[in-house]
Amino acid sequence: MSQRAEVLARVREIPQMPAAVQQVMTLLQDEEADMGAISRVIELDPGLTANLLRAVNSSYFGGMRSISSVREAIVRLGANRVFHLAVSWGVAPHVRPAIRGYDLETGELLRHSLAVALASEGLAKSLMPSPPPNIFTAGLLVNVGKIILGTFLAVNPAPILELAYEQGLTFEEAEERVLGVGHAEVGAVLLEHWGLPDDIVEVVRYRLHPERAREGGVILDLVHVGDVLAKLSGIGLGVDGMAYRLDDACVQRLHLTEDHIAGVLETLPGNVEELMSIFME
Amino acid sequence: MNRINVSISDMKYSTKSEDVLVTHSLGSCVGLAAYDPQTRVGGLIHCLLPQLRGNSGKDVQNPYMYVTSGVPVLIRTLLTKGAKRNRLILKAAGGGHMMTSNRLFDVGKQNSDILRRLLAHNHMSLKAEDFGGTLPRTIYFYLDTGRVVVKSLGKEWEL
Repeated sequence: MSQRAEVLARVREIPQMPAAVQQVMTLLQDEEADMGAISRVIELDPGLTANLLRAVNSSYFGGMRSISSVREAIVRLGANRVFHLAVSWGVAPHVRPAIRGYDLETGELLRHSLAVALASEGLAKSLMPSPPPNIFTAGLLVNVGKIILGTFLAVNPAPILELAYEQGLTFEEAEERVLGVGHAEVGAVLLEHWGLPDDIVEVVRYRLHPERAREGGVILDLVHVGDVLAKLSGIGLGVDGMAYRLDDACVQRLHLTEDHIAGVLETLPGNVEELMSIFME
Repeated sequence: MNRINVSISDMKYSTKSEDVLVTHSLGSCVGLAAYDPQTRVGGLIHCLLPQLRGNSGKDVQNPYMYVTSGVPVLIRTLLTKGAKRNRLILKAAGGGHMMTSNRLFDVGKQNSDILRRLLAHNHMSLKAEDFGGTLPRTIYFYLDTGRVVVKSLGKEWEL
């Protein structure tokens, strides 16, 4: 078996997300599912309930009035946001531990992932009246392949880094040469295995190479640049550092200015720390 | 050793020789350590951006976020704690970049350039620096001797 095939086979051994998260995901994707059914599934899971109430009452997601019921929380946040929060909580336990292969201490991959999610969403908010609903989750999940390469496979990053620095490659290109597959593709295969919607899987697959995507779209452009901004901020950077390439075509399609970039960077560290407290428990 | 963490857009100073000021997560940000070897007063700042944009219409909420507002506060703070300006030893690291030549995203170079200009304008200069590249950096600043150590990718070197 090639190393690539071996890596991809291991992905399918990763456990599924918790049952409650899977149920909420299924219900929220079903247009005919009623609010009562969704509320009941969440209420039966104390962890999900507590997280949802903390999120709706946080200053990032919430509003002025405090909310204490699941039903009200769903109304306030909207089904889309609840869907994406549920996915995030399903994934968080995998993202929290230390990722040895990428030299990330406990919580650092989660911190970096939140930075990507918030930078992508922050960019969207500054560019358009209503940001795409799945952008936060897509951003949060783009680094999920690092869990498999860095933890389950305990990949030694030294030869990858050496190749990247010697030949001026991006870290992902060096991963592809050494392992036969990069963390972005590994992440996409894992999310397919977990049954996530295709639009999110495709962003995860192509965020480092938007030019390879058959159908790119604005979400891919936003997450590509959001990922770059998260790396510039330095929040939760691992051994791969900033060894990635910016795709200028995305920057041009989004008509980005210095104000957009500085505006996102200014608010990023504060927002990341607020959400860390919701996702770390 | 008593470790004190300096987060992004933050500054800490100390007059205690057992303290070590540490800042992680230097991507395009710059970290500047300033030390008076005679009084052993030192401070470390971690700036995210070069300066508040002129047309943003905002006030500086947190001076440490920007090089042009944070560094003067760092220096003034150390002077009030007994440091002398002509004795201050300045060492900086960070200012990294992605693999791009797009000027909009070269925040790291903007940060290091503006720091050098600001210091030159005030007749000061960096005794040592480690800027650029795509690697993430952590700074350790030891108050007993003023030693500044940069760690990255499992290696460390002194500035």
